[in-house]
Amino acid sequence: MENVRKSKFNDTVMQSVFFMSAFVSVLAVIAISLFLFLRGIPAIAEIGFMDFIFSEKWGPVNTPASYGILSMIVGSIYVTAGAIVIGVPVGLMCAVFLAEFCPAAIYKIVKPAVNLLAGIPSIIYGFFGMQIVVPYVRDNIGGNGYSILSASIILGIMILPTIISISESSIRSVPGSYKEGSFGLGATKEETIFKVVVPAAKSGVLTAIILGIGRAVGETMAVVMVAGNAVMPLDKIALLKPIRTLTTNIVTEMSYASGLHESSLIATGVVLFVFIVILNASLSLIKSRSSRN
Amino acid sequence: MKRRKTLELILTISVLSIAAAGCSKGQSKEEFNFEKEITVVARDAASGTRGAFHEIMKIKVKTDGTETDNLAVGALEFDGTDKVVTAVEGDKHAIGYISVGSLSDRIKASSINGAEPTEENVKNGSYVISRPFLLVTKENKSELVEDFLNFASSSRGQAITKEMKYIPGAEEEAEYTASGLKGTIKVAGSTSVTPLMEKLQEEYKSLNPDVTFEMQSNGSSQGIKAAIDGSYDIGMSSRELKEDESASLQRHVLAIDGIAVILNKNNPINDLSSEEITGIYTGKITSWGQVK
Repeated sequence: MENVRKSKFNDTVMQSVFFMSAFVSVLAVIAISLFLFLRGIPAIAEIGFMDFIFSEKWGPVNTPASYGILSMIVGSIYVTAGAIVIGVPVGLMCAVFLAEFCPAAIYKIVKPAVNLLAGIPSIIYGFFGMQIVVPYVRDNIGGNGYSILSASIILGIMILPTIISISESSIRSVPGSYKEGSFGLGATKEETIFKVVVPAAKSGVLTAIILGIGRAVGETMAVVMVAGNAVMPLDKIALLKPIRTLTTNIVTEMSYASGLHESSLIATGVVLFVFIVILNASLSLIKSRSSRN
Repeated sequence: MKRRKTLELILTISVLSIAAAGCSKGQSKEEFNFEKEITVVARDAASGTRGAFHEIMKIKVKTDGTETDNLAVGALEFDGTDKVVTAVEGDKHAIGYISVGSLSDRIKASSINGAEPTEENVKNGSYVISRPFLLVTKENKSELVEDFLNFASSSRGQAITKEMKYIPGAEEEAEYTASGLKGTIKVAGSTSVTPLMEKLQEEYKSLNPDVTFEMQSNGSSQGIKAAIDGSYDIGMSSRELKEDESASLQRHVLAIDGIAVILNKNNPINDLSSEEITGIYTGKITSWGQVK
């Protein structure tokens, strides 16, 4: 009897320990959202929603000051799109190769290399970008090197591991009967992979792309070193010209900012947060759809 | 099995050699081109160095009540001196600005209107881009504050200033002897002056162990305001006082910090005029050919 009561007590204790652990992460999300919105929303209200989101004039130290972040929103979108254009085809083809064609000996080299790529700190990517990619673009393509293109190349490489590992596992999880059926109908291996297996793994590949977009939108340290951080008027934005994104706006100016300037940077964070929430929402939409099928 | 090992070795070597080839690209091999667009490198909007440089070089334009920074469209903005240096070091056609104290042989400093950014030229005013590091107090300051200011302008205080690579502000070098006073000095203001101030306080406390400091690093304007309303004893400022501010304050020049215009080492140009710098930074001059 004593023993039963004791183990019941242990159960309750452990249950609350696990509950608390789960609660910590939820609490962190709530605390961060509260901080962002409590400090950001008043700033947006003071600046004026339209002047904040739909103006390209960013002059926080001018009198009168202007706080328009449209140029940075567009910048974030361009840089992310560039990263997708570079990273998705390479990543997807790498995943197909790893899952379907790769000899075991090469797999042993490529797979750890991809995993290692994921573990490299972003400041190293930034350094690499500033010392190798920027001069390369300047000498061989044009402009001064600090550009949308350089940022896209670096981000394209950074999102590779995410795209490769998720796509690979979703390609591997396609039931073998699909392939056997396709072979049975006389399709070649290539036709089977590109017309049957990859389409069957579609939701996994889409998940990979969206997680890649999330990584690219939020990346800061690497982008700040290669993008040049110039606030460009919308009509002057070009592939080989510098650009400022939402994240680099915050990190470039946070150190000395004060007053409304500082709150406007937190408000920039709010916009970034909304971006990420939209991405996550579309992610769960895809997941719920694929589980229904 | 042996063959695979060889294959791995060859692969590793080829990857490394590609990486090495990439590294040698770090410095551009192309010739200096006077027609190519100048890469303008600036600091972030909130930086004190930028504030001073843009004001002195008339990049920031004031007309009754409004203040507009006319920095050229597409000018790179970095949030630290190190990044400005790296950007100028790697790009033959770049121009940037940093505190004279941060100069190194990775880049070269241009002379301005014929004057090099030396201590002497900054002091006699022939080098035009400099900003004072000020300590401001009320007229009737306490004995303790007076003593600290004496220490800061003494030979001992000046040695620290020089060690931090700033130019001492005081003219004559007086000797300082510890006073043995007691109390607290409250200091607020410029983030740029803070590192120097901390060093000075450390040394002062070692001479006068009964004195404590309260420091707040919150920007020049805040520091000046705090000194005027008396909530702090000393305000630190990295810019000159405005007229309405200087009326009720005493200013002590702690040090002078020159701002150097830096160029890539391969740039054949060694001298720029103030007008040319203004032109480059406001986007009116776009290639080095227009400067030559």
